[in-house]
This record gives sequence, structure tokens and C-alpha cells, in this order.
Amino acid sequence: MKKDNVTTWTFLLAALCLLTLPAQALAGEVYKIGLSLAITGPTSDAGNPYAKGVEDYFKYVNDTKMLGDDTIDCMIRDDQYKNDVTKRNFEDFLDQGIVFYLNYSTGSTLALKKDFEEERMPVLPASFHAGNLVDSHYIFLPIASYSAQMIGLTEYVVKHNKGGKPKVAMFIHPSAFGRGPVEDVQKAVAAGLDVEIVEVVEHGKDLDNTAMLKRLSEKGVQYVLCHTVQSPVATMLKDASSLGLVATSFGEEGKITFLGAHYTGGNDLVALAGDSAENFYWTTSYIVTSEPGEGTDMQLALAQRYNRDEKAANSHNYANGMMVAQVVTEIIKRAKSKGKEINKETLYEELLDMNGANAFSPKTTVGDVTFSESDHQGVDTLQLYVVKNGTFASEGSPFTPEYTSKIQ
Amino acid sequence: MSSNRWLATGNYFTSYKEEQRIFTTSLDRSVMGVFLCVLFSWPLFFSIGNKYMLVVDNILVAVIAVIGLNLVTGFAGLISIGHAAFVGIGAYTVASFCRVLGDSHPLITHGWPPMIVAAGCMGALFGAVVGLPALRLKHLYLAIATLSFQMIFQWTINFMDFFDQGQTISVGRVFWVTGEVARNEHYLFWYYVILTVIVILGFGVRNLLRTRYGRCLVAVRDNDRAADAMGMHPGLVKVYAFGLAGFCAGVAGALHAYLYRGVGIDSFTLYHSINYLAMAIVGGLGTLQGAFWGPLAIRVLDLQVERLSEWAGSHVTAATNLTTALRPLSFGLVIVLFLMFEPRGIANWWRIFKSYVKLWPFRY
Amino acid sequence: MSYFFQLVVSGIVVGSIYALSALGFVLIYKSSRVLNIAHGQIIAAGAFITYALTVWMGIPIYLSFAMSMVITFFLAMSVERIFLRRLIGEPIISVIMVTIGLMSILDGLIYLTPFGTENFSFPPYLPTTPITVGGVSISWTQLVGVIITFTMIAGFSWFFKKSTIGISMRAVSDDQMASMAIGISVPKVFGLAWAMAGLSAAAAGGIIGNITGLNFDTLHAFGIVVFPVVILGGLDSIQGAVVGGIIMGLIQQFASGYLDGNWGLNGTGEVMPYIILLVILLFKPHGLFGIHEIERV
Repeated sequence: MKKDNVTTWTFLLAALCLLTLPAQALAGEVYKIGLSLAITGPTSDAGNPYAKGVEDYFKYVNDTKMLGDDTIDCMIRDDQYKNDVTKRNFEDFLDQGIVFYLNYSTGSTLALKKDFEEERMPVLPASFHAGNLVDSHYIFLPIASYSAQMIGLTEYVVKHNKGGKPKVAMFIHPSAFGRGPVEDVQKAVAAGLDVEIVEVVEHGKDLDNTAMLKRLSEKGVQYVLCHTVQSPVATMLKDASSLGLVATSFGEEGKITFLGAHYTGGNDLVALAGDSAENFYWTTSYIVTSEPGEGTDMQLALAQRYNRDEKAANSHNYANGMMVAQVVTEIIKRAKSKGKEINKETLYEELLDMNGANAFSPKTTVGDVTFSESDHQGVDTLQLYVVKNGTFASEGSPFTPEYTSKIQ
Repeated sequence: MSSNRWLATGNYFTSYKEEQRIFTTSLDRSVMGVFLCVLFSWPLFFSIGNKYMLVVDNILVAVIAVIGLNLVTGFAGLISIGHAAFVGIGAYTVASFCRVLGDSHPLITHGWPPMIVAAGCMGALFGAVVGLPALRLKHLYLAIATLSFQMIFQWTINFMDFFDQGQTISVGRVFWVTGEVARNEHYLFWYYVILTVIVILGFGVRNLLRTRYGRCLVAVRDNDRAADAMGMHPGLVKVYAFGLAGFCAGVAGALHAYLYRGVGIDSFTLYHSINYLAMAIVGGLGTLQGAFWGPLAIRVLDLQVERLSEWAGSHVTAATNLTTALRPLSFGLVIVLFLMFEPRGIANWWRIFKSYVKLWPFRY
Repeated sequence: MSYFFQLVVSGIVVGSIYALSALGFVLIYKSSRVLNIAHGQIIAAGAFITYALTVWMGIPIYLSFAMSMVITFFLAMSVERIFLRRLIGEPIISVIMVTIGLMSILDGLIYLTPFGTENFSFPPYLPTTPITVGGVSISWTQLVGVIITFTMIAGFSWFFKKSTIGISMRAVSDDQMASMAIGISVPKVFGLAWAMAGLSAAAAGGIIGNITGLNFDTLHAFGIVVFPVVILGGLDSIQGAVVGGIIMGLIQQFASGYLDGNWGLNGTGEVMPYIILLVILLFKPHGLFGIHEIERV
């Protein structure tokens, strides 16, 4: 009996310790910003460097006194890719009086859309889903939507395919995130884009894609457009390469060329697929660190300043996180210089005003960030990259998809 | 029966009727009354912000779901690894109406009480259907049948256009006699609604367990062959248990839909099923209070662990891996240690505490 | 027709991996009646240990594969010793719950390493050109994986049929009281069952890791996939696990090969096993190979 009592008390004490953990103390004039994202759980391989990018950049802003004496307090919360937790985090941020909100997943952005409207809270999500913008005034996509990316890839295929109408298949994630662009690509085809979509494959947690690839190859598919996350693409590429189906040059006869949108690519893909990733085409609006340039130097210097490892420093999702932090810092700076009070309304106005001569160049993207009443997609230009010898190299110059405007 | 119904020091029952009373002593009844008054009145004196109100509401919704799970797993002894799917059925009942009628149709915004009951009935229906294999299956095979239901449910929602492929289907703001419930009153309003539902369901279940319809569950759990010999039909009792559990789950689902003003598949996944099971076990299976302790303990623990990892993250900047790891690590440790030392759940502490108070100053 | 045979071959490959993953699960259930929900995490741990030994420490793959099996053997044994030994005799549902907690703990431990969030892939050890016979191809990694799987399963079957420890383990699963009476140490048997489960999980993890690359989400998902497999075959039968695994693999491949993309269906590979499982259970309530126990009041 006595022994049981001791253990019981130990537990009560442990519970008490957990309950009375010190809350973070803050001092000085601060602008509060909230970020809720998946640092753990599904898609955390993207969320983790993203969080680091945001955190480091705001730290940099505060350390170098970019906003004078004012500082930015960005609260970063892990929501494990669960919409319910995101909602709780958002309510928490509201209770604490944030002036700007950064979101992450497609699911939670759609789920919280009504809350954003009611609260009139400007939001930059890490999801570039075109559907985020439907019936919404306060959501802004940092770069061109997934739909634009996929249409851009399709256009590239049409332009560079030798002989005849190219046959393509789409390999997508089984969720709204994956399915969103399919319809838009189909609309673009209906509007005159000259390709044949042979099949749309929604992948599961497949261990073996051999049968699927053989089927596609028998149907004469030359291009597979992927819109999902890295690991399924890597599995497929490995299977394709062991079947000898991966094209060694773009559009090689009888082989398949693989192309993908933002979240399919990056260094993680090469890490997962190894040599099989060779000649994988990938589009995004962000720079990659394998290409020298001002943005690359900036990204690597920031990562080094805050002791990030090689992997995070070179991740395009680190650039992704940095870029949204840059945009937020920029609008705060602009609102301050105009002598406005910093709150969600003025920041919203500044975002809408970010166009024409006011366009913002964060250097971590391949084009300028522009927002307006009618344009809620930040960087409209895309860059195509291709894997050569295990690193991503630019292919051509930045481009803007033509059919995105034609399908609206 | 001791003559003093306020300070009974032991069991003085002289008839079965006495033993089956809801409150064994007047003290019990008064404490319960005061407790309910406190529950209903504290929001008038304190304001805890939207976040914590949401947390509280969320715990209460989980309480309703766990009352159901406790009926099927605790009282009837059938492990269900698909409880979140039944909650989902309730939520998606509301969502289907929203899809067909539009999310601000008067039936949804004004007729929410019947909607909640309808969702419960839908849950009960699905519960009974899923329970049908119980006519033949036993033990873990039955548990896996519920797991199958969970998977099939997830797949169906994920791939059907009607359910927007699992994306959030929004649910409109409801009306009360004072007009539309505004954003800043939303969580408070639902606190009262959910609390009322819990009180009704709690007394309902307590009463049910006094009748033959409740006791048959326990009989089948303890030994279904013996129950068979006593004239019950074990298979049908199991189906009925699943139906009851489904009802509570369906009600919880509808409340979840209204509370979050949206229904998305990611609130009703296998992870949540396992979480409900954790709540039921930590609370104490086969006890009614267990259904209250479990969700409270697990959700508060979750929150504290989250805060712990955040605190660790702000002090140990270099190691994000540590913060990531702290959450599942501490959560798992607490659960495992708890169960190693108290496998009968928190309800057992409550029992010990009560008998201690009853006998004080003597030890037993 | 070659498409059909390709599906058959892929199904068998995937299925035998399922079988190997399910094996550990069955071993634990067979001896101690515990449903181990944390099995997927043990598989993942096995895969990561193999990778760490091979790539970071430069040990040849065949050696590190064996070493990781040994490490996981002791890891699982200590898990049983520390967490589950105390719970012998407690209600089975508490024990299941402990494995759920264990799942969280292992998750946490894995998140402490780089493997939790990042992706890795084994360098290729075998020829990358697949073996193709009549239009049906199978990669070397897969072939070797299948061979290892069947060798291990044969080994375990022999162990249970012939060796003294194996027979005592079967005795414990049959009747704990009676086996204690004839001098079998039940706790030891439980520990050994966990240890062997860990060993087979490490093998499964190593094979899966080589085929798909190392991604924690993909790997621990195997802990759930094994449920339909083991139930299909019967919870306490090793042969059942093999047959169940292969049936599962075939169902998955055929469903996604022939149903996906038609009639608006997609992702059927993930749900079909569960539907078929329900149907089979309605006719054979103890799975295909499970033992029907006669109960007395």
C-alpha cells in the first residue's frame, strides 16, 4: 500500500510540474505574427525547413534592427498537419493579437477560410492551391498556384515535344492538394492546349509501381506530370529507372520523361531517388542553391548565421519560408515608413498595394512579388529546373504560363 | 440502511432497489448538484479567451464520444478501433445536409437540435450495421472488423465528390432565440449546448445501466455463454451495444461539426480512433466517470506536452529535432507509465479517494 | 497478358514483404495475446539501424543487415522487459493501450534522430537492370527481398515445429497455466517472442528500406497494414501470415491495376483488402488458418 502511495504522489508531482511550466516572457514594442505548420507528422520534411526559414529570417530582422527598435515576434506552432490543431492555434494567435498570419497546409487553409474572412486577417499560406483564392479576399499565395505550375509544365511539354500530339499522364496526391490542378489542366486542354491526357493516377502508399508504369508505357505515355510530395515520386522514379523507362533527354522516344510541381522536387527528391532522379524536370518560383546568385548567397549566409545544417540550408522550402518572412517584413517596413499604425488592416492594404513600381523583389524567388485586388498570386513567373548529375540546374529562363489567363 | 443519508460510512443496503439508486447518499446528490451549478455558471465570472474555450468545448465533445466508446468497450467488452469513424458519420450527416441545402439553410442554422439528434440516429444505424459481424465474430477479430470500417469510411469520404473528397465542408452559423450566434460568443454558446447534452446523456446512461437493457451488456462482457444460458442473445446484445455507441458518437460528431463550423476527414481518422480508445482506458473502462476523466486527462496532457516542447524549443535553439521528439515521447511515457502503475484508470483513483473520505479519519 | 502476370509478380513481391512484417506481429500475439500496435515503429527502427550501420559506419550491407537484426532483437526484448513484463495478468486492453503509448515513445525516439523528418535512400548494392522474363520484370532488390522473406519464414516455421523453445512457446500460447506447471518460464517465453518479433521486423524494415527508400511515414504505416494481413490468415498462424500477406499483396495490385482510373475509382488498393477481409470474416470468423477455440462457461 505504501509503495503505491509513493508512486501516486510522484505522478501528481510530475503532472504539477507540467502544468506550471513558465510562459514565455516578452518585453518591448513588438508586432506579433503567427505561423502554424507541420513541423512533425505528414509533410514535415517540407514543413521543418520552412519553419526554420521563417524563424531565421525574423531573427535576422530583429538582430540587425531592420525595423529600428521595433521587433517582430513570430510565434511558430506545430499543428502536425491537423486542421483542428491549426484552428486552435489560430484562435490562440487571435487572442494574443497578431497582425499577420502565416499558414501552411491546403486543408487547413480551406478549413479556416471563413475565419480569415470574418476576422479580416491577411494570410500567406505555404499551400499554392488555386482553390484557396475562391470566395476569399484575405488569402494570398506566395507564388504561382499549383494549377499555374502544372499548366506551365504542360505548355513546356507541348512546345518541346517532337512530332505529334504529346501523350501525358498525371500522377497526383490523393487529396484536394493533388486533385486541384487536374481540373485546371483539363480546362486548359479544352481551351486549346494540344496534349492528350491519357490517365490521371492517384497514388496510394504503393510499394511497387512497376505495373502502373508498364500500363502507362503501353498506352504510349511519354510524359508524366507529378503533383504530390517527394517520396511517392521517388518510389516511382526508382521503379521506372529499374525498368529502364526514364528518358535520358527530354522527350526521348519510347521512354518517359517525368516532370513535377513545387513540392515534388528539391534536394530531398535526389536524396530519396538517388541516380533515378536524373533528368527529372521540376518547376517552382524559388531559387535553388545549386545555382549561384544573389538569392543563393543570401540564403546560405542566413542559414550559416543561425547554424543550420547543410540539408536545411539548401532546401528550397527554407527559401520558401524565408520568402514569406521577407514579404511580411517588407509590408511592415512600408506601412511604418508611411507613418501608419501596424495592424491587420494596414498590412492588408500594403499587400494589395504591392504592384507596379511597388513590386517587391525578395531575391529568393525568380521574379518579383506582385499583389493587387485581382491578383492574389505573388510571384507569377516560374523557373524550370532539371536534375543533372544529382543537382538541379536551370533549364531556360523564367516563364509565365499562358493558359492560366485563358481558362478563367 | 443507515438512518443518516448524509453521512453513510458503508454499504447498508437492504434491498436491490436501494442498491440501484442513482445517488447512494444525499451527500452524493448535493455534491453533484453543486458541481453542475459550478459547471454552468463559471463562464459568467471568468473569461478564458477563445483558445481555451475551444479546448474546453473540444474536451466536452470528446467526453460524449467516449461515453459511447465506454458503453461498447467498457461495459460490453468489445474493442472498437473505429470509433472516430462513427463520430465522422455524425459529422458527415450534418455535412451532407449542408452540401444538399447549402450551409446556411434554415434547417441547419435554426433546426440544429433535431439535426444533432438525426446525426445521432445515423450514427446508431451505422453502429448497428458495423456491429452485425458481432453475430459471428469474437474478440480481436471483431476489433479488426471495426478497423476495417474505419478504413472503408476514410476511403469513401476521401474519394467521393459529394463529400468534397475529405476537404472541409463548411457549416453555417446557428441561431438562438437572441439571433445569430456571433463569432465572439460562438464557443461559449456551444459550451452550454454540449454541456447540456452531456448532462442528458450522462443521466441517460446511468439510468440505462440500472435497467435490464444496460445490465445485459455487462453480462455479455463477463461471459457471453453464461449470458446465453440466462436467455439473452449475446450477438444481438453486441449489435445493440454498437448501436448505442454509434448514437453517442453521432451526437459528438454533429457537435464537432457545429463547433468547428466545418467537417473535414482529418478529424475522424484512425489516429483519432486510437486516441478515443486511449481516453477510455486512461479514464477507466467500465465506469461512467471514466468517460469524463479520460478526455480531460489526455487533452490536458496533450496541451501541456505541446507547451513543454515549445518551451524547450525556445531555450534549445539548435535542436529542433528535440522539440519535435519531446511531444510524442512525453505523451507516450505518461500513458505507458500510467498504465503500468494504474491499469484501471483514473476512475480507480476517484474510487480510492471516495472511500478514503467516507471512512476518514479511519484507514481501511 | 503480360500485364496480368506483371501484376501477379508485383503482388507476390509486395505480399511477401507484408508477410514478413506480419510475422513479428503474429509471434507476439501467438505467445502473449497482445496486439502490438507499435509494430510499424519497430520495423522503421530496424530499417534506420540498417541504414546507419551501412552508410554512416561503412559496414557491408549483408553484415549490417544481420547486425541490425541482432540489435532489434535485444531492443524488442528490453521493451518487453521494461514495459510489458509488469502487465502480465492485467486486462488485455490495458496491455494494448501500453503498446499505443509505446508507439508514441518510439515515435519520439525516432524523431530525435535525423530519420524522423528527413528522407534517405540506400545506395544500390545490386544490379539496377531488372530481370525480365516474357515482359514481366522484377528488380534484383525485390527478388532478393522475396528470397530473404521466404527463408526467414521457413526458418521460423521450423523453429516452432521442431525446436524445444519453439514447442514451449506454442505450449504457452495454448495454456499458460499448464505450461507453467510443466516448468516452462512464461515470462521468458514472452520476452523471446518479442525479441523474435523485433528480429523479423528489422529484416522487413531493411528490405522495405532498400526497395522504397527511408521515409518514416511510409515505414510506420506498415504497422497498420499488417492488421488485415494477420486477421486474414488467422492471428495465430505463421503460414496464415504468409498466405494472408500474399493475398493482400495480390488484392492490392489487382485492385489498383484494374479498378483505378475506371468508373471514377481511385486508390482502391488501400481499401480493397479491408472489404475482402470483412467478407472473408463473415464466412470464416477465425480467419483462413486461425484455430477455432472451444469455450466453456
